[in-house]
Amino acid sequence: MRVIIVDDEPLARAVLREHLGSQADVEIVGECANGFEAVKAIAELAPDLAFLDIQMPRLDGFEVVELAGAKTHYVFVTAYDQFALRAFDVHALDYLLKPFTRERLAQALAHARARLAAPAPAGQGEAAMRALVSDVQARHQPLERVLIRDGARVQVLPVARIEYVEAQDDYVAFYADGRTWLKNQRMAELESQLDPRAFLRVHRSYIVNLGAIARIEPVGKDGHCAVLKSGARVPISRSGYQKVRDLLR
Amino acid sequence: MHGIFASWRAALLYLLAWLMLGLLLAAMLAVGGAGWGASLVFAVPLVYVYAFATGFSAYYVCRAYPLDRRRPLAIAAGVGMPAACVAALWCAMGAAWNSLLAALAPGEYVPVASGPVLASMFGLGVILYGLAAAVHYLLIESERVRQLETQRLQMKLTAQDAELRMLRAQVDPHFLFNSLNSISALTSLDPAGARDMTVQLAEFFRLTLSLRADSMVTLARELQLVRHFVAIEQVRFGDRLRFEAVIDPAAAACLLPPMLLQPLVENAIKHGIGQMIDAGLVRVEAVRAGSLLRIRVENDVDPDSAGDGTNHVHGTGLGLDNVRQRLATACGHEAGARWARRDNRFIVELALPAVTADAPQSITESEGA
Repeated sequence: MRVIIVDDEPLARAVLREHLGSQADVEIVGECANGFEAVKAIAELAPDLAFLDIQMPRLDGFEVVELAGAKTHYVFVTAYDQFALRAFDVHALDYLLKPFTRERLAQALAHARARLAAPAPAGQGEAAMRALVSDVQARHQPLERVLIRDGARVQVLPVARIEYVEAQDDYVAFYADGRTWLKNQRMAELESQLDPRAFLRVHRSYIVNLGAIARIEPVGKDGHCAVLKSGARVPISRSGYQKVRDLLR
Repeated sequence: MHGIFASWRAALLYLLAWLMLGLLLAAMLAVGGAGWGASLVFAVPLVYVYAFATGFSAYYVCRAYPLDRRRPLAIAAGVGMPAACVAALWCAMGAAWNSLLAALAPGEYVPVASGPVLASMFGLGVILYGLAAAVHYLLIESERVRQLETQRLQMKLTAQDAELRMLRAQVDPHFLFNSLNSISALTSLDPAGARDMTVQLAEFFRLTLSLRADSMVTLARELQLVRHFVAIEQVRFGDRLRFEAVIDPAAAACLLPPMLLQPLVENAIKHGIGQMIDAGLVRVEAVRAGSLLRIRVENDVDPDSAGDGTNHVHGTGLGLDNVRQRLATACGHEAGARWARRDNRFIVELALPAVTADAPQSITESEGA
């Protein structure tokens, strides 16, 4: 079993390393001290199992899962977080509470082995992980930054910099600073996470940052579009126009 | 005992006041034509009887008609009726006493009580009763104010104590569990280090437990607490956490509310260094500038969080507000706290009146202000 350890505290990594060292079938393929390294390592090394600390600088454990995907089996490691513990129980996910015993770790490993040997019906584990991540995100609303993975790199995009968002099949495209970033997310989910005072869904396929709008222009017979300060034009649907008018009133 | 008779001094003053009244009455009678001797013999004992009668009865009347719960008319009637009754009784006693004196010493005592005298005695009696009632009302009122004051002080102390208890408990559970996890790691890697860390933890908690809400601590002592805390965190964070304290010796002797500095340093580590990938510095500086003690806690912040520095302030706002509030309770408006992010540093500045243990005057004074 190929394992990576993610924790920003050297001693916390040392405990895991020591305990895992005595397990014959466990190979530690990587150790990471922060979330960025973890996303990169999980993408590149594709380990079977990751021990993931929750409280870390810049990217916390949940954000790592959001970015690195749920193909890897995760065991969360935390000192104290009542909210997270409830979330783990709800979604039947494994976790370790610091400090933990050798037996408790062995139990988590056995659990992981069983899962690896007999993979759950397609996508079940992944669904649980996604549900957990969206639970956690719901607590941090409104969203302050969008995390986008670009290969092994992580892009952190503060929401204030986003001009508008466009739905593209299974993806959403973020337009900011003259660039575009794609993220695998549903439009409705994103809309619910953004601050409704700053972002408005003006069209089935478009969410626009109200601060980026320069003016509203009529298009054709009774259509409208928003002209942004950057010069980009964003279509506004009939119901979207209603919302804009309500907001401006 | 109650009312005026509750203390000897008050009772003596009361009796003295009535003696004056007795002399006054005798003088009035004497001026009216009666002999001095007869007037005194007649007036003084009567006045003393009346002193006790009104002293007791007015007290109960005042209790029965509290100023704040009865309407003025009810109070006037409630005091007026007994006043008239007692004054009438007093007149009757006056007449009887007059006859008795005349009967006991027919030669020497020239009767002084006549119709007009008894009538003015009645008027005087009503007025004196009213006065006695007023004095009782005053006493009851001042007693009530005193009780309220004690109660208020008591409540303030209780609140401070509860607050400190809360602050102690507020020492982040993460801190405790992560520290225990570090010890768990050290037991095999570095047993001596593990022992040091348990001692540091014990010292830290012992110090927080020895604090009392109503007594200030010196900055030096608070810093001792902070140093234990930082030592423990340094084991966890390793080289990432650097700490520096620059304390002016004059400042170290100054007093401040307990657990004021520790939450600031805890914040600096948790939200500052804890969010950084690279190493960062937490710096505490204290100087005494005349009558002011200035404390400054600053820490490095992750430069990449520059875009949304709110994140940082958001997380610490509560703790900082708490510190500001505690400063205001302990030192009044003379104290202040402010914080700001400058470049990649987060800075908290406190200013409070510089008080040392040798001159403990201003703490309670400023509290009362």
